[in-house]
Amino acid sequence: MSRHVFLVNGTKRTVEAPAAMPLLWVLRDRLGLTGTKFGCGVGVCGSCTVHLDGKAARSCQTPISELGGRRVTTIEGLRNEAVRSAWLAEDVAQCGYCQPGQLMQAAALLSGSAHPSDSEMDAAMNDNLCRCGTYLRIRAAIRRAASGDARGS
Amino acid sequence: MPTRRAFLRVSAVSAGGLVLGVRVLGAAVERLAPPVAGAPALFRPNAWVRIDAAVRVVLTVGKSEMGQGVRTSLPMILAEQLEVDVDAVALEQAVPGPDFPNLGTAGSRSIRSLFLPLSKAGAAAREMLVAAAAARWGVEPASCRAESGRVLHPATSRALGYGELVEAAAALPVPGDPPLKRSADFRLIGRDRRRVDGPRIVSGEAVYSGDVRPPGMRFASVIRCPVAGGTLRAFDAGATKAIPGVRLVAPIAAGVAVIADDTWAALEGRDAVAKTVVWDEGENARVSSEAMRERLAEALSNERDGHAIRRGEDALAAMEKAARRIQSEYAYAFQAHAPMEPLNAVADARPDRCEIWAGTQNPNGVQEEAAKLLGLAPSAVTVNVTLLGGGFGRRGTDYVIEAVEASRAAKAPVQVLWTRQDDMRHDLYHPISLHRLEAGLDAAGKPVAWRHRQASVVWTSAAGRPATEQRLRSDLTGAQDQPYAIPAFVAEFVEVPSPVRTGAWRAIQNNHNMFAVECFMDELAAANGADPLRYRLALLRDRGRYDGGRENVPVDRDRLARVLALAGEKAEWGAAGRGSAPGSGRGVACGVYDGYTYCAVVADASTGGGHWRAERIVCAVDCGIAVNPLGIRAQVEGAVAWALSALSTQVTLRDGRVEQATYRDFPILRFREMPRIETHVVPSDAPPTGMGEPPVPVALAAVVNALSAAAGRRLRRVPLAADDLKGA
Repeated sequence: MSRHVFLVNGTKRTVEAPAAMPLLWVLRDRLGLTGTKFGCGVGVCGSCTVHLDGKAARSCQTPISELGGRRVTTIEGLRNEAVRSAWLAEDVAQCGYCQPGQLMQAAALLSGSAHPSDSEMDAAMNDNLCRCGTYLRIRAAIRRAASGDARGS
Repeated sequence: MPTRRAFLRVSAVSAGGLVLGVRVLGAAVERLAPPVAGAPALFRPNAWVRIDAAVRVVLTVGKSEMGQGVRTSLPMILAEQLEVDVDAVALEQAVPGPDFPNLGTAGSRSIRSLFLPLSKAGAAAREMLVAAAAARWGVEPASCRAESGRVLHPATSRALGYGELVEAAAALPVPGDPPLKRSADFRLIGRDRRRVDGPRIVSGEAVYSGDVRPPGMRFASVIRCPVAGGTLRAFDAGATKAIPGVRLVAPIAAGVAVIADDTWAALEGRDAVAKTVVWDEGENARVSSEAMRERLAEALSNERDGHAIRRGEDALAAMEKAARRIQSEYAYAFQAHAPMEPLNAVADARPDRCEIWAGTQNPNGVQEEAAKLLGLAPSAVTVNVTLLGGGFGRRGTDYVIEAVEASRAAKAPVQVLWTRQDDMRHDLYHPISLHRLEAGLDAAGKPVAWRHRQASVVWTSAAGRPATEQRLRSDLTGAQDQPYAIPAFVAEFVEVPSPVRTGAWRAIQNNHNMFAVECFMDELAAANGADPLRYRLALLRDRGRYDGGRENVPVDRDRLARVLALAGEKAEWGAAGRGSAPGSGRGVACGVYDGYTYCAVVADASTGGGHWRAERIVCAVDCGIAVNPLGIRAQVEGAVAWALSALSTQVTLRDGRVEQATYRDFPILRFREMPRIETHVVPSDAPPTGMGEPPVPVALAAVVNALSAAAGRRLRRVPLAADDLKGA
């Protein structure tokens, strides 16, 4: 057990935890932020995606010991309303479970590339899995968010 | 055909409110204590509509939301007839109990079974509100109409809100058979409606069972025997001594539960204990996929084994007399559900009661099994159904009961969370099967005899049970009711014991049966040098009706012919250049899902270097009245993704163990691999049918047919084998 101090959604948090404890479980079980989802635990599905200093990161692969002083943003703290609105306008979600991770991944993509091409989207989104098959609508939502058109059709 | 009548009665008059009880599925009315004071003793409704003075409408039904959109589409149906805005209708999740003895979400049945009851309930409430207003004004009800939560009397320009009328309406008799709006007057049904849960999903506030946190809840991980059917011999609970946060290590029926203060401690504890566990692996410890394939092949070739469904003339005799005979074998592997949310549930088991939070498709089963385990009356067990992070047929009871056992052991609320590896290795898999199809053709190339012989494992819940006609129809769905008009027909089923647990998997038996039928149809067309779409149409158009599906319901071949022709037209089937480039191909398939939903798909796909890709999918469906077209398109997209995944994934066994562990070796479809998809819905006034499953097997077969065309050889295995695509 050791003490770890870092920012979560703009608030300083201090957590006593074993050094190897993944951020995913810190968020869900210690801080009560259950929007970040457990999908695989081995970094192959993207459901647990958060932002670490603004970049997309798999929280299941990020031990708390690496967080010292860093900024964590979760779905609850995502400020990109354009992405959220686009997701609603395209009616992306089916079961919805992977969508917080998809949104965080897409928001990180858009913050680095305001108008991502299809191949940029492919590269950024390909490791975020969705068993319901919402990929076409995710692509459309990213396009919509990039265009700044949040209205529904 | 079973009729689905709705029984309506006023069940209670609450303060300032109108409450209607609806009996869905019109079974015998049972003599039981009234669920609500004042309710007629003989009437036990299982869906409720409540309207209060603030015109909040609460609809209570027992359908689980797992992405198929029931929480959006069911309120649309009620609001349409009730003449309120759909946003005014809140859907409340039913809790198992006397009012709700038979909750369950499966088989693409939600819309099909609830459309009429909810329409009738909405119409009855509307008629009562209109009658209440007419009485107050002293006018004829027929001179009034309902609109947007108000009753209007146009002749005198008067209006009363529902809120002012609910109390008076509640005192009126309930119309037994209220008139329904005509579909031409629909203002909600048939228009795109976005998912009601969307805002909560994108904010991260949507609640799945793993997000429930009753006070004092602990977190558990369960070590299970790697071989199905194995039993626990020994383990060392002391192995967790050095791991902070582990509270208890307890044996449960499924294995050993490690219960801790958080998930990470539970997982660490689990790893430590797992090293000390000794199993008796039992009789399945040597089973491999090769052995399974041999078992199936042997069962298929033992001609005396099995049970048959025959239609028309003697198929074997007709086969002997046919001008030509064609035969092929098809194989479909074990498949895992692999929903993004690994199985999990929360239970708080006390000596005298139990509360459960679970994303489950079978809440009554959970209640019953938990009550039995704990020695409680079912009424002492409360089951709260949360959102499901994908259901696909997997979410029944087993993982929920583990949480109940762990909670009883820990004397605290406990969440049991399966790891991804647990989820992959202890699934209720889609059955493995092997099919031999044989057709006798007449001189013109038309099939006059058809034999579909299948060896398969069956669902664990049905294994070893007598092969009744009903069970055979179910195991052979998609095979026994293949849609083509063939005068001599037999479908045969041979059950093979399964070394792993098996169960429902999106589109159930149709997956393998329609795959075999629709790929074989392409082979028949090819043997005749015929166009596969026109060859099918000739066996459907003007060929009348037949009884299909598990329930022997009337199926109209012309409706299938229409969706097939529509898919062909929209995809420009037969147009020059389409699918003719090297390495690319087009395929078509069609089918009637369980006798209800008509679907056809034209697929464009390509192969090269041992890889394949679906490029474009054109899907035409006739699902009767299209309640929410936006949701229908979503279900087609999801079904296509499900089908394409199945062409790459499989569950294999070695030494009785499932070899796959995560998405790394169970490679479901990815973002980059998603094809373009067009959905065309046939306008219809027929009663609506389900859409969650029907396109799955049709899309799969169409893509396999497209890839067979692209590869220049018939592909007959699911998943596709790299060898089959090599050199293509």
